[in-house]
Amino acid sequence: MLAVKELLGSKLKFGLIALAIGLVVSLTMLMSAMSEGLVTGMTGAKRSLDADALVFQGDTALSLERSMLTDEDLAVISSAAGVAEAYAVGHLIVTVRGPQGSFDAHVFGLGGAFDQLPITEGEPRSPTANEAIVDATAAAEGVGVGDTLSLTPLPGELRVMAFTESRRYIMAPAVYVSLDTWRSLRAASLLAPRSTQGSETGTEQGGDGADGPPIYATAALAGTASIMAVRLSPGVTPSDLSATLSPAFEVATPEEASLAGNGMNVMVLAVNGIQLVSLLIGAMVIGVFFYITTLHKSGQIAAVKALGASNYYVYRQLLVQISILVTLATVIGVGLALGAGSGMPPAMAFDPNPARWVLSLLAVYATAYVGSLFSLRSILLIDPATALDRAEH
Amino acid sequence: MPLLEVTQLTKHYQGGSGHVTALEDVSFALEGGRLLGVLGPSGSGKTTLLSLIAGLLRPSSGEVRLGGSAVHLRSARESAAFRREHVGLVFQDHHLVPYLSALDNLLLVPHLRGRVRKADRQHASHLLTEFGLEHRAYHAPAELSGGERQRVAIARALMNSPEIMLVDEPTSNLDTERGQQVLELLRDQVHRGAMTCVMVTHDPRMAAQADQTLRLVDGRVVTNSAAS
Repeated sequence: MLAVKELLGSKLKFGLIALAIGLVVSLTMLMSAMSEGLVTGMTGAKRSLDADALVFQGDTALSLERSMLTDEDLAVISSAAGVAEAYAVGHLIVTVRGPQGSFDAHVFGLGGAFDQLPITEGEPRSPTANEAIVDATAAAEGVGVGDTLSLTPLPGELRVMAFTESRRYIMAPAVYVSLDTWRSLRAASLLAPRSTQGSETGTEQGGDGADGPPIYATAALAGTASIMAVRLSPGVTPSDLSATLSPAFEVATPEEASLAGNGMNVMVLAVNGIQLVSLLIGAMVIGVFFYITTLHKSGQIAAVKALGASNYYVYRQLLVQISILVTLATVIGVGLALGAGSGMPPAMAFDPNPARWVLSLLAVYATAYVGSLFSLRSILLIDPATALDRAEH
Repeated sequence: MPLLEVTQLTKHYQGGSGHVTALEDVSFALEGGRLLGVLGPSGSGKTTLLSLIAGLLRPSSGEVRLGGSAVHLRSARESAAFRREHVGLVFQDHHLVPYLSALDNLLLVPHLRGRVRKADRQHASHLLTEFGLEHRAYHAPAELSGGERQRVAIARALMNSPEIMLVDEPTSNLDTERGQQVLELLRDQVHRGAMTCVMVTHDPRMAAQADQTLRLVDGRVVTNSAAS
């Protein structure tokens, strides 16, 4: 009764504080969506691989760029205890010449499991040779379904058969091809530049003669995939698999692998830090506002306590007010965040995740209630006897 | 048996300037259905006495018994519950809740008791009508005159049909005519409802109209009309 009537009786004052908290909420929401967008943009293709565990070459720090597995490695992993299913994944950085100019892309060769890609446009099937499923952000570069992409400096071309979504890597669109296509592109990436430099053996798939490719290139070509994605048998954990395999391999969940390398953990830490600071500022705004309000009406609170109100009753009124204000601020904040997000260019990392937004909002409520503890202290200290003439004391 | 018994009541404070004795060895009794006027200059301990009777303060020594029950032994929580159910308080500065209408200020009392029933609304409307405030029921305190605010405050104190009403300087902010009206209102309520009232005042003319007068100076009773 008191809480709501006071809010209605001072609409301007409480409206302004709701707006202030709403701005904090929107900042928190934006940070959450940008953090998620950053993670998706940087690691979406890696994180969303349909697997219980990813197996990397040992000592590569879960780096997709550095890991390389041989045929023999793939066989060892596939037959390891606890592995139910496995498919190879290849990775390669390329430059794509699109309708609006060149842009970077990450080619992922999948040894099956194409049904894991959500198709937003085009044909929902596995790509054949020289076909590709491309992340929809490539549309910002003028790429459309049915277009043919020229890869440079490789001699290859790929036809876009479908668009998928939320599959970017290091802020560039992912291009999904069959593992065979990836292998030929990888071979070309290693050898083609040398052929343009006059190497006569540049197109060969190996060789150890004096005129053959350099030894490092030969070694690299022996690899048949970058990593292996593994589905584990029930009850088997990635740690179990790691213990089973030799130290020549590193095992991680897709989530763990996505945060490894490329400075991801530092970036996520920084964005989460901004979110945390935003929440603390929100808690301070709410805490200080209600603390000052409580001090301002201490005489009134003393009188209500003198009439028989308990500290719990007075604090409960405060919590009701905070709940209403934070709810109002949430509506304002989410609206502002969505408005700001819709105005952002597609290349911006903005990926609102409902679950994370709910978590952020719960954190806003929690910090608001923590902020109310400032006021609780002053409520407890208000002596109801002061409602009567203080001059006598 | 008197409704209110105060026995050798003493209250010390630890103030900024050291040890302060607000009340010392105060004893008196008040029969039910009577109006007691507590008179004394500023700083004589009148309000401290009122706070001790209300259970807002605990005495340094001595006893306060209301209807035979020991007020001085109650915890803060018990005292708050006791005030909600049995005590009507009227403050010098009325202390109406500024964002509540006159009617809602009255309904605050049953609200604090847990529930506002239809009978409470009827009782509040009846009191406002009785005090000539029916046309001001939905006005905020800021829209009322000083006399109207004080009448609303008295009406609020009557909402729980208290056994005892404790009134602090009810006329200090009013002119003589309005002060007299408020006092007559109090007297009328006491005598009609067989209620007991302790009224603190610094005005001898107001105190003289009470059924019993207690005069305090420097925290001590110097005159008790019931004893003379």
